[in-house]
Amino acid sequence: MAEFAAEVYQNEFLSEGATDVHAIVTVTCTGAGSAGSAGGGAGGVAEIIMVDTSGSMSGRNIEAAKHAAQVAVDQILDGTWFAIVGGSHVANRAFPYPNARMAMVQMEPGARAEAKRAISMLTPGGGTAMSTWLRLADQLFATVPQATQRHAILLTDGKNESEPRANLSAAVRDVTGHFQCDARGVGSRWQVDELREISTALLGTVDLIADPAEIAADFEKLMRASMARGVASADLRVWAPQGAQVLFVRQVAPTVEDLTNRRAEVNPLTGAYPTGSWGDESRDYHVAVRVGSKPVGSEQLAARVQLAVNGEVVSSGLVKAKWSDDESLTTRINPEVAHYTGQTELAAAIQEGLAAKAAGDEATATVKLGRAVQLAQQTGNDEATSRLRKVVDIDNEEQGTVRLKRNTSTLDEMALDTASTKTTRVRR
Amino acid sequence: MSDSSSTAPGETVAESSVLACPACGEPSHDGARFCEACGTPLAPLPPAGGDPAPTGDPTSTGDPATGDPASTGDPATDDDPATDDAAATQPATSDPAAPAARPCVRCGGTVAEDGYCTECGEPAASERDHWAERPAAWVAGVCDRGVRHSRNEDAMALAASPSADDERAFAALVVCDGVSSAPDSDVASLAAARAARDVLASGSQEGAAPVTGEPSARIGAWSALVGEASRAAQSAILATVGDMADRENPPSCTFATAVVDGPLVVAGWVGDSRAYWVPDEGEARQLSVDDSWAQEMIAQGVPRAMAETSPQAHAITRWLGPDAPDPVARTAATLPDRDGWVLVCSDGLWNYCSPAADLAGLVRATHERVGGEPQALAGALVDWANAQGGRDNITATLARFVRSAAPAPDGLDPDLETTIPTT
Repeated sequence: MAEFAAEVYQNEFLSEGATDVHAIVTVTCTGAGSAGSAGGGAGGVAEIIMVDTSGSMSGRNIEAAKHAAQVAVDQILDGTWFAIVGGSHVANRAFPYPNARMAMVQMEPGARAEAKRAISMLTPGGGTAMSTWLRLADQLFATVPQATQRHAILLTDGKNESEPRANLSAAVRDVTGHFQCDARGVGSRWQVDELREISTALLGTVDLIADPAEIAADFEKLMRASMARGVASADLRVWAPQGAQVLFVRQVAPTVEDLTNRRAEVNPLTGAYPTGSWGDESRDYHVAVRVGSKPVGSEQLAARVQLAVNGEVVSSGLVKAKWSDDESLTTRINPEVAHYTGQTELAAAIQEGLAAKAAGDEATATVKLGRAVQLAQQTGNDEATSRLRKVVDIDNEEQGTVRLKRNTSTLDEMALDTASTKTTRVRR
Repeated sequence: MSDSSSTAPGETVAESSVLACPACGEPSHDGARFCEACGTPLAPLPPAGGDPAPTGDPTSTGDPATGDPASTGDPATDDDPATDDAAATQPATSDPAAPAARPCVRCGGTVAEDGYCTECGEPAASERDHWAERPAAWVAGVCDRGVRHSRNEDAMALAASPSADDERAFAALVVCDGVSSAPDSDVASLAAARAARDVLASGSQEGAAPVTGEPSARIGAWSALVGEASRAAQSAILATVGDMADRENPPSCTFATAVVDGPLVVAGWVGDSRAYWVPDEGEARQLSVDDSWAQEMIAQGVPRAMAETSPQAHAITRWLGPDAPDPVARTAATLPDRDGWVLVCSDGLWNYCSPAADLAGLVRATHERVGGEPQALAGALVDWANAQGGRDNITATLARFVRSAAPAPDGLDPDLETTIPTT
């Protein structure tokens, strides 16, 4: 049985007149078991693999993608509902075969062998309209309402060129909350912002696969992780007192995701923020609440941060506010809050810097990426520093003075962009 | 010991139709659904004839002395058949194991199991942080943590006979202020206040060793008993703190009391908690004389305002506790010639209105505003001190003095109000 624990890191002391309370809440799940173990067995789980079959995939890419999809199929547990979608400017169900009566089938050795055969017959051709892929996946999932844990992998190598951008956004909006989706781009001709939009809304991850040969290993990892998520779905709940304002709710580890606008009301004082499925893992959330200032000496609860599974609270963390005139208490900076505040700014600085660079605004790009170098150094995010080094020459790491590199590789910039939201944990 | 002179500590003894608001202590009347003073929703009353509803009876939500070993020896709860009877007829709803039933003190919302209100986030009030006692309709007190301090180290204990009009109407008010620089002083102060109260109650007409004789003769007996009460308080502290007595900074507290016995008022003190006589009209007086640095300065001619605002003003020269120099209370007696209030309070109140005339002005104005019910008045005085900043724990205890219509006691002119120093 999965168990959740919530730990709160904050400086609860506020100076006279102060109103804003910040806290990092670490939620840890243990004993999650494998997908479907919480009830309904693997029959409560559904997986769809979407592979780009547009004309641009011809050659090495399609062969690598087919191999990767077959590896992923091997990882799907028996009993899990699954389907394979081939996507171009239209979406086609590759398995179960288009003439099959069932839109999705449960995994068993025969189905696994047949699915691999179907994957091997995928042939590239046509354009790219990812909205059609997402909408078909949504329709397939809808045929197995008993499967409450739904996950998909989407692989592309190109831009969403066969339809207006608004179509993709509309499709993402429509399917949000129906299933989770990890998005992967192979090579350097796809758009980071398109895949990030999909993975962010659908509670998944986005990543760049530089070499087609690496797709299989990545798919295997993704599918294995999905199969190890024994908790189908959980909500982060934030209660704030009457009259208080929740300034923001962010996931800050393992990646930065702003959850503030995903609030669903539980009651007037409590909002629920979807967090998707959970395996044995730990995620950090940054919650900021503005409360009315109280006299020195007063105490009040500023927030309850809880994790709810199937509408039941399984873990709760208390964020407190205590007003004090002792400056040695009120001026103390909580290291967790400082660390993740820096990491969030780091992600924004990288994305804004790269966007400015792409738009030809070198001055802004230099300032933003310089700030990013500084923040990566301060927060000990060495991976970000090494990715930044491929895009800028660093004159002074501490001051954040950099020069933009000439003739940088697109892949390096994309790698920096996709990884910008990955955070490092606080060194405790 | 009669049921009238004994009250379970922390209990609000209420007449059958009068309950205290759980949030502010304001008395509320039969059938009231919300508190008149603060708007806190009140729990429905038990069936007619029942004892006070759970919300009006803090004993149902825990004793302020939870964890205090001295409280097990409290005769008021252990030996008194009347109290036992009352307990037997307690409505089933007052389950002591259901403390969560107490609503939030700020907004009246539900307090969750995590100890905070589900509406406004206010921490659940602990019984030790704020409680009221009202052993009779004319005697009551409110003890409060204040705003700035994180713990309530003040304590009080009261006893009274049923009516202020009796020829031998009896009341004992005891206030002990724990020294906040010494840890665990909250435990010490509560044990001390209760022990002293019990010694004083033994001298009442219903007590184990009633004080007898003409009023003039009783002054000496009461003065001796007040001294005995302060020594009992000292013993109670030593018994309670145990090994903590060996600490460099052992738990300690002040002591102040006023006993009303018919026409007589006897005050006693160790430290800077105070007893005042506040007549309805005429000159009010502080009956006690602080054992404090400030008082020594005043005695040497330093103006009161200057002495009391100096940094050392609150340094006390006598206290109760393991390292106490002299635990015997000094006393003073008076025979008031008119109706008024006997007030015993901690410095959390008098700091904001130290001169007797200022305090009398406050008491009279508050009396005018909230009426003469002593618990409402004590609660309003505490609220006032909190509104001034609540820099310290606040305790205000009151007894309504009614000048008896009985003839003047021999040898004492009832129209000549005198304070008779007895030590």
